[in-house]
Amino acid sequence: MTNASGVEEQTLTLPSEQEVEKLRAAEATWSLSFTLNGESVELMVDPTETLYDTLRERLRLIGTKGACLEGECGSCTVLLDGKPVTACLVTSPQVQGRTVVTVEGLAKDDRLHPVQESFIACGAVQCGYCTPGLIVSAAALLAHNSTPSVEEVREALEGNLCRCTGYTKIIDAVLEAAGDEPAVMSVGGEK
Amino acid sequence: MSSGPPIRRRPTGPVRPGQQPQVNVIGRSIRRFDGKGKVTGETPFGGDLAGPEAYTALVIRSPHPHCEIEDVELAAARAIPGVVAIFTGDDIGGTNRHGLIRRDQEVFSRRARFMGDCLGLIVAATPKIAQRALEAVKVSYKELPIVATMDDALAEGSYPLHETGNVLSTELIRRGDADSALAESDVVVNTETRTQCVDHAFLDREAGMAYMEDGVVTIYASGQWIHEERRLVALALGLPQERVRIIQPATGGAFGGREDISIQIYLGLAALKLDHPVRIEYTREESMIARHKRHPIRIEYTLGATREGVLTAAKVRILSDEGAYASTGPAVLRKAVSHCTGPYRVPNIHADGVAVFTNNNPTGAMRGFGACQLAIAYESAIVELSRVLKIDVVELKRINLLDDGEGVTTDQKIPVVGVRDCMEAALRRIGWDKRSYETPAPHLRRGYGVSTICFGVGYGDGFPDASRARVRMADDGVVEVFTGGVDFGQGLHSLAAQIAAKELGVDPLAVRVVASDTHRTPESGSSSATRQTVFTGNAVRLAASEVAGQLLDVAAAYTGLHWDDLELRGNAIAAKHDIAGHEDRTVVLPLRQAVRLGRERGYALDVESCFKPRTVAKQKGTGKSPRAFITYMFASHVAEVLVDIETGEVKVARIVAAHDVGKAINPQQVEGQIEGGVVQGLGMALMEEVVSEGGFMKNASFTDYIIPTIVDTPTIEALVIERDDPEGPYGARGVGEPGLIGTPPAILGAIADAIGTQVHETPANAERVWKAIKRSERAGDGASA
Ligand code: FES
Ligand code: FES
Repeated sequence: MTNASGVEEQTLTLPSEQEVEKLRAAEATWSLSFTLNGESVELMVDPTETLYDTLRERLRLIGTKGACLEGECGSCTVLLDGKPVTACLVTSPQVQGRTVVTVEGLAKDDRLHPVQESFIACGAVQCGYCTPGLIVSAAALLAHNSTPSVEEVREALEGNLCRCTGYTKIIDAVLEAAGDEPAVMSVGGEK
Repeated sequence: MSSGPPIRRRPTGPVRPGQQPQVNVIGRSIRRFDGKGKVTGETPFGGDLAGPEAYTALVIRSPHPHCEIEDVELAAARAIPGVVAIFTGDDIGGTNRHGLIRRDQEVFSRRARFMGDCLGLIVAATPKIAQRALEAVKVSYKELPIVATMDDALAEGSYPLHETGNVLSTELIRRGDADSALAESDVVVNTETRTQCVDHAFLDREAGMAYMEDGVVTIYASGQWIHEERRLVALALGLPQERVRIIQPATGGAFGGREDISIQIYLGLAALKLDHPVRIEYTREESMIARHKRHPIRIEYTLGATREGVLTAAKVRILSDEGAYASTGPAVLRKAVSHCTGPYRVPNIHADGVAVFTNNNPTGAMRGFGACQLAIAYESAIVELSRVLKIDVVELKRINLLDDGEGVTTDQKIPVVGVRDCMEAALRRIGWDKRSYETPAPHLRRGYGVSTICFGVGYGDGFPDASRARVRMADDGVVEVFTGGVDFGQGLHSLAAQIAAKELGVDPLAVRVVASDTHRTPESGSSSATRQTVFTGNAVRLAASEVAGQLLDVAAAYTGLHWDDLELRGNAIAAKHDIAGHEDRTVVLPLRQAVRLGRERGYALDVESCFKPRTVAKQKGTGKSPRAFITYMFASHVAEVLVDIETGEVKVARIVAAHDVGKAINPQQVEGQIEGGVVQGLGMALMEEVVSEGGFMKNASFTDYIIPTIVDTPTIEALVIERDDPEGPYGARGVGEPGLIGTPPAILGAIADAIGTQVHETPANAERVWKAIKRSERAGDGASA
């Protein structure tokens, strides 16, 4: 068949569901088991894929974001055995038998984690793309240091980029979650 | 590092669940209703919508910044199992073109003018297969001469990038007689400023999905003006607009970077041709290579003054690198030229601007939009003048800043000029009169800089700029707001809910917002140009107040009371003040019941309104306009920096940002906009720079393109000044862009104060600062302590 400009058109025959399934299955050759947000999971993955892809593509947990996929932005931060790591730099076989917590694992029965609460209350969420990673990093900080200083908050969140908020309200939020009054200045309404 | 006085946050906290909704919702920090889905990770962004069940599309891009494509060899790629289709220009039914001001960019190029130009689109069963196919594609091409710089573009005999040559557009301002005024001035200073190419670096890479539904190409993708994007998709694909539907998912930032079309046409084409869900997601590298950028601008500035420091004239030459395509370039150039003297009283102005094509990334919209480059230039000239006149920079500003009713560059008279209020508030906050130059170590120098800037709100210059919004009462008594305006984090949708809630006396968190869907929502224009608070805000207010009026009529007829004795509050219609039988201001009619009654009496309780204020196109030959923009924003920033004179490194210790926003409808969101803008401005001032060599972008990754982290950033002290705007809803004037604009000049001024000499090229990274120090040491004036 040729189109209006006289060029031969490609024949568009879509592959069948089964064919696509087979192609997908051919990529997933590794059997992986680990603990995810408190539950054990077992599934087939591509041994070269990252934890980021396994979480999002195979388990459809979309809270783990990926702004760079090269370890620079922190938007894919998850807890691996309690420590924050960038899921885009961890290959899935590396988490075999280990414990992973994603942002989805922080709220308990619809009760938000205090950091999640304070992020909303303090206006630390704008576009929200950096938010899950920041919340995971902040939750990890507060888990071992319940009264961080502003400088400790900065240090703990250095690996998490945010392009929208200017970070000021993020610091407010972490300090508020720590049970502190926001110690930083941010004032509205001077006439 | 000195720190400011320990001022506590004013209690503008959010409304907590369960708290009584207040009648006065304007000026309160209502929590945003999209917060919960974003903190739990449930909210889907463009890349989260489709799973592996959708096909994956991948763009074939140009191998060279300037070339004639001879052949794209696809057979090998097509033969890979799982490759569904590969589309090129032969497969597209419409114009195969796009572009916001000129349709000068091909969807599938036959001649590539920059590295991001697209040659074809691969669609495959999985991302891995698509990647393999991309590697199997062979492109043969004929190299064309590369126009790498603005000087190349303007050189005699340069290779023309477009049929019209290498000059995209020119702009001018002529006011008074600048040449004679300069000749008569007691002092004249000259500066040359060079600003860099900047990337938006929003975190949410371009990503989305599309499918066919009842013959309609349904595209989920993030832009800034979905109705315009629908027009562009329909034109390129040759479809009527009704057959294209664009829905905006949650969007991770934009900052102007989503104004040009990105993935929408690719997605639409693939879904249309294959009748199967298709997804696409750029890598970070691809996102940076394909997207337009901020214009690098070179500005020669001549500023004259009397001995007493009164400005007499400005002569300004502006040269702007457009990159490969027009994008919004002509509008950016006009904004640059029309803001070339900022918030200063300059009676004589002679300004010329030229925008030229090169083989770099197309440059277009980015927060600040030409005005931020010019702010760097005019503030640099003011600092220079202050040095020569030996008049403190703040004094010089006090002498020359505009007052209420005076004219900006275009001679438009501005009724409310809040710039002095902003500056004095910022100076008070930083403690200007008692500022200290002490440093913790001898190799450090402290410095302070002050910026004062202005920014015209909306598209302006006679463009038919409008926002529509629809407000209706649902049968269950819930207020619904429909807007096509997109929210990429700035909070437009929460603002729309807040305004409707105010007019209809309900809890803002109970308002249902239906947004950003070309098939369901009216056109609300672009989320850009700092326009949505004023434009969509006003449209929502108009529609909601008309619905409120209908409800009052219903209640008046029902109760026999006069409508003027009634008001909407607390989900009901209630008596306004003491009237017989209603001494306790009782509820006369719950809202839900009023809706039922109203419907029975034939009230639609469903209103669409339009806000379309007129502006006036520039006058030919002078560039002046009595109303170039509907209103102006003013701001002043003060920065305090520490410079390491051994390395040139700059640490920003404090930034105070005072903005006259007219009225802060949601103070917390307003502060958030200012703070975010400040940090983008800090990035522009000190570190961000897209590096291109011969048309090849050298740092297309977050490893190499550095944006500020939380460690680079001091606590931003945002001061909200409120001088009511006559045009804005409740006096609001907008807030989006000036937070960025005010920051680079304040930081650059602070660096100059610290080291005794100016850095005229941005970013003022360690190398440039160090070189400036060495240059001034050689020149013998040394670094001031
Ligand atoms: S996506 Fe993993 S660090 Fe950026
Ligand atoms: S809120 Fe947008 S990147 Fe942080």
